[in-house]
Amino acid sequence: MPKARTKSPIYGLLAEFDTPAALLVAAGHVREKGYRRMDAYTPFPVEGLAALLGFRYTRVPLITLIGGIFGGLAGYALQYWISAVNYPINVGGRPLHSWPSFIPVTFELSILGAALAAVLGMLALNGLPMPYHPVFHIPRFALASRDRFFLCIESSDSKFDRQETRHFLESLGPRDISDVPY
Amino acid sequence: MDGPITPQAAERRRPPVIQPGQTYATVTDKISSIVLVRPTTPGWLAGFLVSFALVMLLFYAIAYLLVAGVGIWGVNIPVGWGFAIVNFVWWIGIGHAGTLISAILLLLNQQWRTSINRFAEAMTLFAVACAGLFPLLHLGRPWFFYWLLPYPNAMGVWPQFRSPLVWDVFAVTTYFTVSLIFWFVGLIPDLATLRDRAKKRSSRILYGILAMGWRGSALHWHRYQTAYLLLAGLATPLVVSVHTVVSFDFAVGILPGWHSTIFPPYFVAGAIYSGFAMVLTLAIPLRAVYGLEGFITMRHLENMAKVMLATGWIVAYGYVMENFMAWYSGNTYEGFTAWNRIAGPYGPAYWALILCNVLLPQLLWLKRVRTSVPALFVLALVINVGMWLERFVIVITSLHRDFLPSSWGMYSPTRWDWATLFGSIGLFVALLFLFIRFLPMISIFEMRELVSESPAGD
Amino acid sequence: MNKAAAYLPGSEIQRVQSGAVWVGISGFSLCLLGAYWNRVQFFHSYLFAFLFWTGIALGCLAIMMLHHLTAGAWGMVIRRLLESGSKTLALMAFLFVPLIFGLRSIYSWTQPIQLPSQQLEYLNIPFFIARAALYFLIWLWIVYLLGRWSQEQERGEGSRLLRKMRLLSGPGLVLYGLTASFAAIDWIMSLEPHWYSTIFGLLVIGGQVLSAMAFVIVALVLLAARQPLVGIVQPRHFHDLGKLLLAFVMIWAYLAFSQLLIIWSGNLTEEIPWYLHRWQGGWLWIGILLIVFHFALPFFLLLSRDLKRSGKTLAILAMFLLLMRAMDLFWLVVPGFSPERFRIHWMDVAASIGVGGLWLAFFIWQLKKRSLLPVGDPQLPPALERTHE
Repeated sequence: MPKARTKSPIYGLLAEFDTPAALLVAAGHVREKGYRRMDAYTPFPVEGLAALLGFRYTRVPLITLIGGIFGGLAGYALQYWISAVNYPINVGGRPLHSWPSFIPVTFELSILGAALAAVLGMLALNGLPMPYHPVFHIPRFALASRDRFFLCIESSDSKFDRQETRHFLESLGPRDISDVPY
Repeated sequence: MDGPITPQAAERRRPPVIQPGQTYATVTDKISSIVLVRPTTPGWLAGFLVSFALVMLLFYAIAYLLVAGVGIWGVNIPVGWGFAIVNFVWWIGIGHAGTLISAILLLLNQQWRTSINRFAEAMTLFAVACAGLFPLLHLGRPWFFYWLLPYPNAMGVWPQFRSPLVWDVFAVTTYFTVSLIFWFVGLIPDLATLRDRAKKRSSRILYGILAMGWRGSALHWHRYQTAYLLLAGLATPLVVSVHTVVSFDFAVGILPGWHSTIFPPYFVAGAIYSGFAMVLTLAIPLRAVYGLEGFITMRHLENMAKVMLATGWIVAYGYVMENFMAWYSGNTYEGFTAWNRIAGPYGPAYWALILCNVLLPQLLWLKRVRTSVPALFVLALVINVGMWLERFVIVITSLHRDFLPSSWGMYSPTRWDWATLFGSIGLFVALLFLFIRFLPMISIFEMRELVSESPAGD
Repeated sequence: MNKAAAYLPGSEIQRVQSGAVWVGISGFSLCLLGAYWNRVQFFHSYLFAFLFWTGIALGCLAIMMLHHLTAGAWGMVIRRLLESGSKTLALMAFLFVPLIFGLRSIYSWTQPIQLPSQQLEYLNIPFFIARAALYFLIWLWIVYLLGRWSQEQERGEGSRLLRKMRLLSGPGLVLYGLTASFAAIDWIMSLEPHWYSTIFGLLVIGGQVLSAMAFVIVALVLLAARQPLVGIVQPRHFHDLGKLLLAFVMIWAYLAFSQLLIIWSGNLTEEIPWYLHRWQGGWLWIGILLIVFHFALPFFLLLSRDLKRSGKTLAILAMFLLLMRAMDLFWLVVPGFSPERFRIHWMDVAASIGVGGLWLAFFIWQLKKRSLLPVGDPQLPPALERTHE
């Protein structure tokens, strides 16, 4: 990324909308115009918004599956090693490798592995926890967790120009536009 | 996929899951104000103090148990499993409804879950916490509880994985962990809402740390929803497996009355049954006290009643099959155990459970009963009692008279058994009081989503 | 909507139906020929075939009542298939009659063997036949009422009838659960009269529902590619049905494993022989194949969203599962006749195909009588609404 652009004095421009529908329309226009580095902030998940912002596939399901398979294999291996290799004892004449008895714990650990992988994977991909973020500078941004819908075009976008982008955003009829400082 | 959003067509004709007139702002303010603005009311304080007194009773009973040993309970040979196991199974079962409401109803796309799921999940956590206490206390030397876990140790021994009691350890800890993260993940966006609404700096910092910097980014929501759905998909078989493992505690042994293959599905159904009864028991007073009739509507109550009716029938099916097979098999001991349950010294408990679990709940076939709040409340209490009795009958009757009449005996609980039971109820209620005071008891962001999907929204 | 009101096209389905009739008749003739030499084997094979196809019919009935109770969009596109499937119970009631003449060849409790007295009170030929008659009466009565109301829907008054169907389906499911369980005890469990398992009824019910779901998916995919359903059945419908198929696969595995673990751990002389019979002489391999192909493979494949949303792949998997269902039932039933070693007779195949041909012809006959979608049902338009997924 060229240095000149990242040095822009602001993080981006934040436009505020009243309804999810207005935000969706605006996001569509912004994308058509050719902007790519942008994000939207909403009080609840708005269907189709992530796709409009150019985001389709997430790796969370794959991470979850891997976590589950790992948990299950590790669980079975642990039980096998303990019961048949390291500490073999006779329990009611059952075989040392009592596979039916090992299924419940294998199952529990598969679920545990998958669940932990899903949550940690989601947080890691989202970059959370992140205590500081430029958008929090805007006081009105507190409404993003209430009833307002925000669209932010970031200054790192190659098409970003403080004046032009502002004019363009104004043409989309937002309720308010603010500069987001770093 | 890229097109403009189309209005959500579903759920138009049925009674609303959210009352008309609510907007994004009103749901946000109404629910968050319960936590942030509303002062501590005398009613809350009184309720909390009463339950806290019971917690003290629990601590007292536990402290005396640690000093004197399990001899203070009514357990002895032949009834080595007493109240502790009954209460364990009962509490775990109550917890299951919470996960089911959250997970299965999310997977089934049932919007009516939204206003009760948070609360139900909290209920799960507290119920599992109460449940976990009992097997630990029953160990005799609870301070060595970590011996249950497989870890390399100087004694060179390992847990014995052919025992269902070890499966229990894994099932319950997994269940608690997954319920906790499921609940917490669901809370993250609402913690961000509280952070943005809170007036006091201390609460802003506290909620801010817990919200982990959530800012509602569209990409974050996308991954968040995926992860949340996956968690729901994982939690559903997990719930089933947990109560299945609990049922294995009994069924894997060879005691008549315990060793029965129907136990896994029958225990799972029983767990859901008693769990939904507990959700109703708690939700009915709550909605009255906090004026939440707009969020927890009659439709919720009626749907829960229907779930109770369905699971109640699976439980009844279990009773039928158990008794039929005891007769059909011609096995002397199975036959005797069935007869001893019905007509033995604990017969009244059996008949009371049949009354509470099978007969009275048939009233739920009537729409008039399903839509009457007092009737539902009474029936929920009845089922709670019935399901506790069911576990009592299963645990005690099979143990007190098994194979050899010379080794028969009777069981009666002591005051310490009762103190621990009521103390655990106190712990559960006290935790719930704290929860409704400090965290949003209804998922705010999901209510906003409901508003956007309801015809009046946008 | 006009398209939805259409009936099955005549010519193609006519060919399939008459083909099915011919396959059925030839299968039956072959079996009758075989019965001439080996009467006992004929009845064993015939019992297996009867149980397999009755299972699909009963599963259809159960899913249909479940659909009336929960009113999901998934059920609207398969309603007619479920109705036609459950109406084949009339045929199966008729096909039960030959079994009556073979009870002595099938069930060891008809012979003087050592049994507890209670079992003799329950397992005797008159009571057995009376119970079977009662089961069929109850099933046919539910099928008749639901079918009639569903037909009346097309003449208007959709919502009032919807309520009626819902009201019957609750008690109907209870009745189904009890009768199907006892039918499973009578018809399958009593093959080895010393053995008992309280979960067995549920295990068989789980299998029936899975069979029916697999069958209905195959039928729906075949129909969805042809007029009049082209463009009406959407990926989201397949997605929902695929999810249900996955759920039923898991429930089956859950019930089967629960029974295994409890009996295996207990290792009691009353119970374990049942598994010993199924773990020796080649039967073990069937058991292992069931674990892999009845559970593991379909489970992992059905996790895929793309597979569930594509009708074609879903149908291939469902077809495969239907075969696995037959294998599972075979593993439940036939070791009762041949516990020492695995065996499969040509009549097992011929009888299954013979009964299956007639069953399919009956199914198509019922399907042809009505529009392919329940047009009078007020829930239909929202169920077919296009969404932006």
